[in-house]
Amino acid sequence: APPAIAQEPIRWRMQTYAGATLGQFVTQPFVDAFNKAANGEMVIELFFADQIVPTGELFRAMQAGTIDAVHSDDDSMASPVEVGLFGGYFPFATRSILDVPVLFQQYGLSDIWRDAYAGTGVVWLSAAGQDPCNFNTKKEIKSVADLDGLKLYTFPTAGRFLTQFGVVPVSIPYEDAEVAVQTGELDGMSWSGITEDYTVGWANVTDYFLTNNISGAWIGSWFANEEKWNALPEHLKALYISCMEASHTFRNQWYWGGEAKLRATGDKLQLRSVPAKEWKQVEDAAVKFWDEVAAESETKAKVIAIFKDYNKVINAAGFPYGES
Amino acid sequence: MLAFLVAYVRAVDRVNYRVGRFAMYLIFALMGVLFWSSISKYAGSPALWTLELAQFIMVAYYLLGGAYSMQLGDHVRMDLVYANWSPRRKAAIDAVTVLFLIFYLCVLLYGGISSTTYAIEYGERAHSVWRPYMWPVKLVAAFGIFLMLLQAVAELLRDILFLRGVSVNHQSEAGL
Amino acid sequence: MSYELIAIFMFASMMALLLTGQRVFGVIGAVAVLAALPLWGTGGVEIAFAQSIKLMKWYPLLTLPMFIFMGYMLSESRIADDLYRMFHVWFGPVPGGLAIGTIFLMVVISAMNGLSVAGMAIGATIALPELLRRNYDKVMITGVIQGGSSLGILIPPSVVLVLYGMIARQPVSQLWLAGVFPGLLMAALFIVYIAIRCQLQPHLGPPLPKEERDAITWSERISLLRAGILPFMIFFLMNGLFLLGYTSLVESSAVGALASMGAALIKGRLSRQVMENVMRKTLGISCMFMWIILAALCFGAVFDGLGAVRAIEGFFLGRLGLEPWHVLILMQLSFLLMGTFLDDTAMLVIVAPLYVPLVKLLGFDLVWYGVLYTITCQIAYMTPPFGYNLFLMRAMAPPEITIRHIYLSVIPFVAVMLLTLMIVMMFPELALWLPQQFQGKLQG
Ligand code: NA
Ligand code: NA
Repeated sequence: APPAIAQEPIRWRMQTYAGATLGQFVTQPFVDAFNKAANGEMVIELFFADQIVPTGELFRAMQAGTIDAVHSDDDSMASPVEVGLFGGYFPFATRSILDVPVLFQQYGLSDIWRDAYAGTGVVWLSAAGQDPCNFNTKKEIKSVADLDGLKLYTFPTAGRFLTQFGVVPVSIPYEDAEVAVQTGELDGMSWSGITEDYTVGWANVTDYFLTNNISGAWIGSWFANEEKWNALPEHLKALYISCMEASHTFRNQWYWGGEAKLRATGDKLQLRSVPAKEWKQVEDAAVKFWDEVAAESETKAKVIAIFKDYNKVINAAGFPYGES
Repeated sequence: MLAFLVAYVRAVDRVNYRVGRFAMYLIFALMGVLFWSSISKYAGSPALWTLELAQFIMVAYYLLGGAYSMQLGDHVRMDLVYANWSPRRKAAIDAVTVLFLIFYLCVLLYGGISSTTYAIEYGERAHSVWRPYMWPVKLVAAFGIFLMLLQAVAELLRDILFLRGVSVNHQSEAGL
Repeated sequence: MSYELIAIFMFASMMALLLTGQRVFGVIGAVAVLAALPLWGTGGVEIAFAQSIKLMKWYPLLTLPMFIFMGYMLSESRIADDLYRMFHVWFGPVPGGLAIGTIFLMVVISAMNGLSVAGMAIGATIALPELLRRNYDKVMITGVIQGGSSLGILIPPSVVLVLYGMIARQPVSQLWLAGVFPGLLMAALFIVYIAIRCQLQPHLGPPLPKEERDAITWSERISLLRAGILPFMIFFLMNGLFLLGYTSLVESSAVGALASMGAALIKGRLSRQVMENVMRKTLGISCMFMWIILAALCFGAVFDGLGAVRAIEGFFLGRLGLEPWHVLILMQLSFLLMGTFLDDTAMLVIVAPLYVPLVKLLGFDLVWYGVLYTITCQIAYMTPPFGYNLFLMRAMAPPEITIRHIYLSVIPFVAVMLLTLMIVMMFPELALWLPQQFQGKLQG
């Protein structure tokens, strides 16, 4: 046999939007699986929220090559692309976690996203669903009117939307949110589902969980530096994609099962609900919000049209897809 | 040639003194914004922009004030050995080791310019409901780093001049 | 280059360059970028500046200039003079009483301020000259002021615990509460040490002469207690409003800064000269801290990104094959060792992110560790060759106090701090009981 040539592995640095606790579940499994399968040909080193660069600088860092790959929503990493505001939680765009892959793979969002990032130096690889955007608060919410005056930690787009119900959106670094609740700067969060509330410790500082949400699933994406991605040999690209898709499967069950189990058996947060009829006014407000956004540009209009089409389909399909 | 170097050192000292004195007053802006933040919560409508504005002011405060604080000699040194050296020896060794500082500032400035260019080109905004543009604070930061670089070079020249027998005091010492 | 080699190279070159006496932030930043440029690959050049955005978003750092301002305002406007006189009169009759009174003064100053700067400045300008005049032992009182002022970072409010809280992701209110009893214990041990020492060697701390004592009437003594009102109000505005949830952390630091200014105004001591000194010194010290943090964040990101952190983790957790407690003790020892050489702020930003995840992996309570960590920082403040309190002392002390005195003076106080460290390690409840009483909510 010819002598084996010892070759330095390809090394990538990946940073995730998630802090170390959540990152163990949402990003680490991908990295572990890939590193094992790449068998020393390539090694990915994972860094958590703000570890190398702040989350808001991730797009820029990936473009410059400081970071090679990223797991984040477009919104949090401040992507300067038109579809940026749809990443994370766009009000009522989705109803459940599987809607995200369906929208991207069956309704054409993948192409729109790929095109949106083309030529930026950053390549969009894949999107997947995560948890819904519920409310966990110190004060009880039993009606839409109870939202009035609540200081909530939330996403910018969601915050812009919620101000019409009197919510006061507060933007602080993710890791500071827990302390901010304890010091009274926040009344709670409108940021995640119940799985994240328990995993990162927010359930320890808030009392109530509102089962109504403003979006059924978080749209999170996987990105890489374009040059680095193009330079990978085909078999490593294929391996990368397989591990990434497999990690989507892991999160699908982790969140779907976690949301149900913790609502049913979790003992740190008491469940509250606003009657569906009343919550309808929030949903209706979202439709108006959609139209405002659609008027901003052609691409945005295209995405909104897809959301509308899809929602028509699942509503027509009835339970468990849409309204029962 | 020496006269030119002296002129450079004096000019940089003067500019950074003025900028630093300006930055010094930003502490009150910072206090005001934070105080307003605590008041506005009880006045019914909590301000959405206070924390971010305070952060911008803080960046301006320490980056624009950096060069002046270098004039004041406030940047600590580990002076276990250094303290016992003669002024000549201090100047000679500083003149070499300050090159490390200058190198760091050059890299910092490069990153600052690159990041500011990006922010202007893409119209980058902060991740919040207030969504301010990011280029002004980045521009101020890059400018502060540039002034710090000018000051570090001035310190280098001051040491070289001192070794050549020309003493250019910090103007704050000169009572300017 | 292997991870171990990178770790050793970066630390060794930083130590070597620090010894040349170049400015600390320049050394740390230069080592970071010199390692990043060849070893990082593309984009390595951007890391240094990206940290300025990280620093900006690290919002509790807003408290830093506020606390520094407050510290200088309290000392420059001599608000503490009356307070000092109160302790002086009340404790004067005991052997070593003025030194003990100075510790009490330091505890009160510590409760108003988050750094040790204020205590140092007040101790060096008000207490020290008076103690010298009363023939107190130079070495002992120099130590009293250095040890006492270091309480500023353990007794709430504390900037060090704020920074630690940001790194360890622990609630600042819990950390502050955790510091209360260890801080008071340390102060008590200081007092015990002074009392015993002055019992055995009365010439070190002579009591006030009888005729001077008799000259002070009881009504005068009682009225002196009023000196405590202003500090208590400042303390309440700072800590009380924060712990009760009325002000956020950064807001409370601004309230504290304004309150100190208001106190100076009430006392009629807010002169132009005082304002000028306070503003200039605040800018200088804030810039010093911030630039070190900026450079240290860069050092940390490069160190982390190049994999050197993994080398350290592997060393402590895998290679040594030790029990968790042994690892913890080893970490504290290495911390103390580094603390003698490294600047404290740099140590905080560089070393804490390396150690905190390890402590968590080992299963220890991170609030408790925050207290251990702060005590270690206090020791680092005072141990030569590099100690921030040593610098301040050298700059502020009257000329008859030499460097030799300063270095000798810290020995017994460092010993007391080490004792406190061991007690808190052995009895975690000492730190954890109070925060548990205030825990936001515990259900089920
Ligand atoms: Na304190
Ligand atoms: Na030290």
